[in-house]
Order: sequence, then structure tokens, then C-alpha cells
Amino acid sequence: MSSRPDPAAAPATADVDVAAVHLHEVEHVYGGAGGPVAALGPISLTVPPGAFLVLVGASGCGKSTLLRLVAGFERPTSGTVRTGGAEPVPGRGAGIVFQQPRLFPWKTVSGNVELALRYAGVPRAERARRVPELLERVGLHDVADRRIWQISGGQQQRVSIARALAGDHPLLLLDEPFAALDALTRERLQEDLRRVSAQTGRTSVFVTHSVEEAVFLGSRVVVLTHRPGRIALDLDVDLPRTGVEPDELRALPEYAALRAEVGHAVRAAAA
Amino acid sequence: MTSSPSRSVSAPRLLAPDEVPESAGPPPVGGTPAASTPARRGRRARRIGVRVLSLLALLALWQLAAAAAGNPSFVPAPRAVWDQLVLLSTTHDGIRGYGGHLLVEHLGISLRRILIGSALGVAAGLVLGVVLGAVPWIRLVAEPVVTFVRALPPLAYFSLLIIWFGIDETPKLWLLAIAALPPVAVATAAAVHGAPTGLVEAARALGASRWDAIKDVVLPAALPEIFTGVRLAVGVAYSSVVAAETVNGVPGIGGMVRDAQRYLQTDVVVLGLLAIGLSGLLIDGLLRAAETRLIPWRGRV
Repeated sequence: MSSRPDPAAAPATADVDVAAVHLHEVEHVYGGAGGPVAALGPISLTVPPGAFLVLVGASGCGKSTLLRLVAGFERPTSGTVRTGGAEPVPGRGAGIVFQQPRLFPWKTVSGNVELALRYAGVPRAERARRVPELLERVGLHDVADRRIWQISGGQQQRVSIARALAGDHPLLLLDEPFAALDALTRERLQEDLRRVSAQTGRTSVFVTHSVEEAVFLGSRVVVLTHRPGRIALDLDVDLPRTGVEPDELRALPEYAALRAEVGHAVRAAAA
Repeated sequence: MTSSPSRSVSAPRLLAPDEVPESAGPPPVGGTPAASTPARRGRRARRIGVRVLSLLALLALWQLAAAAAGNPSFVPAPRAVWDQLVLLSTTHDGIRGYGGHLLVEHLGISLRRILIGSALGVAAGLVLGVVLGAVPWIRLVAEPVVTFVRALPPLAYFSLLIIWFGIDETPKLWLLAIAALPPVAVATAAAVHGAPTGLVEAARALGASRWDAIKDVVLPAALPEIFTGVRLAVGVAYSSVVAAETVNGVPGIGGMVRDAQRYLQTDVVVLGLLAIGLSGLLIDGLLRAAETRLIPWRGRV
């Protein structure tokens, strides 16, 4: 059923150039007033194209650090990070959704998406066509001309996702994007993200502290230990990616078993 | 209460800066502070009433002070100032206004100087502010210079400007531009330096170049603070115009006040001060109105 490539077909050591994300012996240390803090690693990880990887762990396990390294905002203290076979540079190769929507309040909803398309080098005429398309994809066509503060937090995060999709990058990075939303909105956005990612087939790396979210979204779940973050559990989620209702999915016995396993690993790793 | 004549000018000033309409539904973009509810309208009428009353009280006090002084060269009565207003706005006994120019002409020429001078100062302050805010080593070198200039009273460097540029328009415009520059430069530098890192990072994540990020994120985010700097700058230019017109200042409202002082025409001096102050209020009101129109996202970043 699974629509992503079989992980067994992509050996961890080979095909570095083909891998969407490849980390080799990565360590990251923050220098600070209170002395250096080892945030991450050493950690090695290979994500094949099309995978939906969820990094889960308690606060301070370095999962956001890992995402910032993959985004190219920071360089690792040691080791190598590659996305699509190259050193990551912000704005090239990956769309990013942050925990806060980080939209530009001086632009309207469609203005925000339009700017993203402009930065992606899309010509003006094509931008006018693609803005409604992108808003439609995240279910926002009816608020296109609103100001940012006139739409809800959930809608703002949808704009942020549309903006991250605008660049048509093969990789999508999401840093706890739904953490600040209410439970109902969060669930709806999770379902829509699952649908959108299954449709587009791009690689996603999603960071969360929610076990439920990890199992629901991920085709692969990696649990990180407490600081410095290392891999405590690396699990393939063999749940159907398409053709199943979210409620049916959550009712599957395999789903409950996976949730229990990941939850156990998260609690053990945090201790 | 007749609220209609004062509405267009004073309406924005009657609202507190943060009294922007709540966006419960979808209000019109860049919503004007329309007071439509009866309660709000009543509050506004009361505020206008209070202002009118305090103005009347002030006039009464002035009248009393003039009577107590008993010397119109020391404290002219309101009536005398009013007569001067009429006299200076007409041609009387073959004399046109004051020194051959009507009051509005004096004021108009000063306003033109203020406009050009502060426009030059704002433009230069904006560029300097962006550079100061974005490039640390330039800030290190140039910030003390800006603070130094800011501390100088305009009259102090006016002498130098006269030596360099003569006594015509040039030194006056230079003086106003130099006076208007620091507030804008300081406000812009602070805003650019404190640009919201989250938004800049978001722009970079979308593929924005360094210049894109400054143009599309840092500057718009800084606009509310820059606008405050502009308002301060225009205020400084306003208060410097009298200094700029101490030499060869007629026509010009400052030159008029200075000449009137020489001949002890106290009522003309007071009239000139009122003209400067009231036109200043009006300009600041216009700037505030422009601000709510141009920066609807103020306070929402």
C-alpha cells in the first residue's frame, strides 16, 4: 500500500547523492555564556526521496537544531549535512514551515504567497495564475484578499504552508507547525497535510513533540534522546498513505500499537 | 456641538494612537477610524466640548493677564492680536500685510522651507539610518557624529552655513535639513537593527537575497518607527525655522516675528507664534492621518 519507496531498496550508506537528506556523523554544539552546550549528535541519518520523516522527542532534544542544520541556517560543528546531494542553502531546495506562521503583515494573504513565488523566480504572469492554485490546495481560496491579522491562527499556518509549497522544492521542512493551534484545528491541518504530501510526493521532515502527530503523519518516525540528541528509535510506519479516512486510520489496531511503541520510546528517551 | 468643521483635521487626533477599530469581522482594508456607534459618537462630542471649553478658558485667562499687565507692549490683549491678523491679511493704507507680504505669504514661504528642508533631511536620514542599522562598523564610526550633530542647537551651526552658503535660501534649507536628519536616522537605524529576525529568516527560507530581505522585510517592518522619526523630524524643522530666518528672513514667519520684536510689536509676535503653532498642529494631524492610512499593520508585527 505504501506509496513511498521501500527503505530496504535504499541502503543507508550508498546513494548519498540520491538521498533527499543525508546526515553523516553530525554533531552540533552551541557556544554560550554558560559554556558550550552539546545540542545534537553524533547522528547519522539518510532520508530517501518521497519519505515523510517525523522527528519526535521532548523539549531540548535537538530536533529543531537538526532541522535548522538541514535548512542551511546553521553549519554543523562537525560532520556533514547534504540535501539532494549538496550542502544546504536557505531558500534553495527546501520549503520551510516554522512554528509561528511568520507571515508579512504588510501584505495580504495572496500577497504573501505571491512574494514566495517571486523569490522562487516565477514570472509575473504565471504568479497570478499560481497564487489561487496554491491557496486552493491549502483550502484558503476565500480569504485571498484579507489582511494577515484578519484570519485565524490556523488559516495563517495554512498560508505559511502554501508559501513553503510555492518554491516547488523537493523537500519540505516543518518545525512544530501545529503546536500553537487548538486541538480541533490541529487535527484538521494534520489531515490536510497528510493528503497534500501524499498528492505531491515530495520529501518531508517534520519535527514535533506529539507522539500522536508523529504516528499519524510519518512514513518513518525517528525518536531522539535528550540533549545531545541521538537516535533512540528509528521506525518505519507501515500504515496506508492514501485511500483511507483519517478516523479509520486512527482506529486501526496497528495504529494503536505504533503509538504505544513510539510513546514508550519518547518517555524512555526523555528520562 | 458643531463637530463638522473640525472633523477632517482633528478627527485622527481625537483618537488615542492605539484606538484602531477591532477587526471582529472583515473590516475594510486600512480601515478608517469611523465612529459609528452612538456611544462612541457621544464620547467624541464630549471630547470636542472639553477642548472648546478649555480653549475659551485659556482666552479668558489671556484677557485677564493682559488687563492685569496693563501694557500692550508686554502682554497684548486677544483683541489686539485679532486686529493684527486682519491687518496683516489685507492691504491697509497702501501697505500690504507686514513688510510687503501678507501673513499667509509669510507662513507659506516658511512652510515651503520646512517642506523642502525636512524632505531633504528625511531622505538623507533614511539612507543613513539603513546603513547605520545594517553595517555594524559604520555604526561604530558614524553614530557619535549623528549624536553630536543632534546635540547642537541649529543657531550654533547657522553661522557656519552662512559663511559657506551666503544669506539666501541655501543656508536656510541646509539648516532645516541638518536639523531634520538625526531623528529619522536614529529611528531608522534602531528599527533596521532590531528587524524581526523571524521574518527575515522566513524571507531567506523563501530564497530572498540580502537586498530582497532589506527591501521587502526590514524596511516595511521598520516603517512604523521610521514614521515616528519623520514626525519628530518635521517637528524639529518646525522649531528650527525661526532660527533659520534670523538672517534675511523676510518674507517668512520667523523673519516676521524677529522684525516685530525689534519694533516691539508684541501683538505681531504673538500672532506669528500662533500661526507657527497652529500650522504645526495641522501638519502633525495630516502626518498622523497618513500614518494610519499607509501603515495599517502598525502594532501587528
